[in-house]
Amino acid sequence: MMLKKISGFSFLLLLALVMTACVALRAEWTPPLQHPADAGLGKRPPICTDCHEARNENFNWQRFNHDTFFGDNHRQQAYQGSRVCSMCHQQNFCNDCHASTSVELTPSVKDPSATYRRSPHRGDWITRHRIEGSLDPTSCIRCHRNPKTATTCAPCHG
Amino acid sequence: MKLRLSSSRATVMAGLALIVGMPVTLPAVEIHIQSDTRIYGMERDIGGVEGQMVAPGYEYLRIDAGQLQEKGFSFHSYGWGRLDFADNEFFEHREDGELLYGYLQYADPESGLDLRVGRQTVAGGVGNDAIDGLQLSGDLGPWLVALVYGGQPVGFSSDNGRTDDLIYGGRLGIHQGRFGELGVSYKNLENNNVIAEEALGLDLSLFLPANISLSGFSNRNLDSKGWAEHSYELQIPLNPVLIRPYFGEYDYEHYFGTGVNTVNPFRVLAINGEKLRVIGLDTTWKYSDAIDLALKIKGNDYDRMNGSEYASGLVTWHGAELTQVGVEVGYMKGDLDKQKYLLTRLFGYLDGLEEYGIGFMSGDVVWARYDQPIYGKDDSLFVSLGVGRDFLDEAVEVELSADYSRDPYFDADLRGLFSVTYRYDHE
Repeated sequence: MMLKKISGFSFLLLLALVMTACVALRAEWTPPLQHPADAGLGKRPPICTDCHEARNENFNWQRFNHDTFFGDNHRQQAYQGSRVCSMCHQQNFCNDCHASTSVELTPSVKDPSATYRRSPHRGDWITRHRIEGSLDPTSCIRCHRNPKTATTCAPCHG
Repeated sequence: MKLRLSSSRATVMAGLALIVGMPVTLPAVEIHIQSDTRIYGMERDIGGVEGQMVAPGYEYLRIDAGQLQEKGFSFHSYGWGRLDFADNEFFEHREDGELLYGYLQYADPESGLDLRVGRQTVAGGVGNDAIDGLQLSGDLGPWLVALVYGGQPVGFSSDNGRTDDLIYGGRLGIHQGRFGELGVSYKNLENNNVIAEEALGLDLSLFLPANISLSGFSNRNLDSKGWAEHSYELQIPLNPVLIRPYFGEYDYEHYFGTGVNTVNPFRVLAINGEKLRVIGLDTTWKYSDAIDLALKIKGNDYDRMNGSEYASGLVTWHGAELTQVGVEVGYMKGDLDKQKYLLTRLFGYLDGLEEYGIGFMSGDVVWARYDQPIYGKDDSLFVSLGVGRDFLDEAVEVELSADYSRDPYFDADLRGLFSVTYRYDHE
């Protein structure tokens, strides 16, 4: 496959091309680095469409409404719109749950008082994961997929 | 010549790019420091000796410096370290700390260009990894967005050195705010010169009339030559109700089979030939400004195992700021008795309690009943209580909490936490 034959030179060339193109072909609108601080977002997870229209020619705000299950289902938003996430969340906010390397403490142990989050490991997870892991293990590997993040699996699973 | 980016090479390359390619003006440096210190206390059986004290202290430190409010140059880092006050064998085989990220960033004020070099997380399409290397993203005109990255993966063992570990990939997307986005992404990950993952991703968001949207993605494992996952969902807003039906299909051979990267217990799953189809429906109903109702239904269908279903209902009352009280009841119905359980949760967080001498109070009670006893116990109880408050205009936050658990693994487990969060901002 062509992609496997990518060389260091061609990768650097691609980087240079993208850099040049980014500077030359400017977007008409890009998300700001941070959400305006004077918007008065408060602490409560925001419903974007309380202030923004559902969608316009630049952006679909409705997708980022932090409703009850947003914590359960934000893969697609991160898949396509991580720079929108970064307007409000620094990288460490994501890393505390989704680190691709060792963080040791699960979110519900690191922040046990954050009961307003639907942390999946809350309560007797070590028992429940015997059941949920056998019925749908697909979500486990998203966080425990490499040797460092699987260290918590190793004592029982080898 | 295959690309081999060592950290030092990547740093030099990025430095050159930054120096040569960017017109530079250096405004005042902003600094943000956040220190989270956590001290836990609990008892564990270690090396056959019951009830030994375990008392780790953790420091999670985040430092951001540079132009933080506006686009420009900045530096970001975050990591953790542990000190074992009990100094026993409990943490013997674990890392004592980790730098989670530490990178230089240049965000061009005029274009959407974003350049990062150092240890960082890449997120986009099939890329979801920590790397030591380079990441470049930006808009290519009004409709195209691009991301490319390369370097060394962080998640591998360094027992054999890291010289022959490699990751590179990228994503190209075409988007329009009213109609949606279509993206294609690629990732190649090698461990000691052997392919650990090679994946191709297609992602789609389609914005339909009546604010309905269809989104999802398909990931193909190029190493094992099969589709690993298809996940798609609809969002149907019927204000004040939002309905989200979703579908997912997973082929275990290609989903869990990630070459030499595959670790247990996923290695076993990769060879069992199972295929899983997930169909679900999440419904949220904003009953009023203060009350949300929610319903979750999920069904799993397999090629080999029999199906399973899960259903839960949730009611949440919201007060000011983070104040909320909620109750959730769910039931998992697996095919076997040992795969069935009832889950109930009562949770609360009371914010703005300064007039009572504390800032917040939190509580969480989780009770699960298992249809078939596990290690002789057919239920579990978890109780968590916490209090905390801010000082010095929210620069310092102190928190005290305790977790109690009675479950198949612990007759009675008590864990205490004392934490101090310190924030410093210089603008």
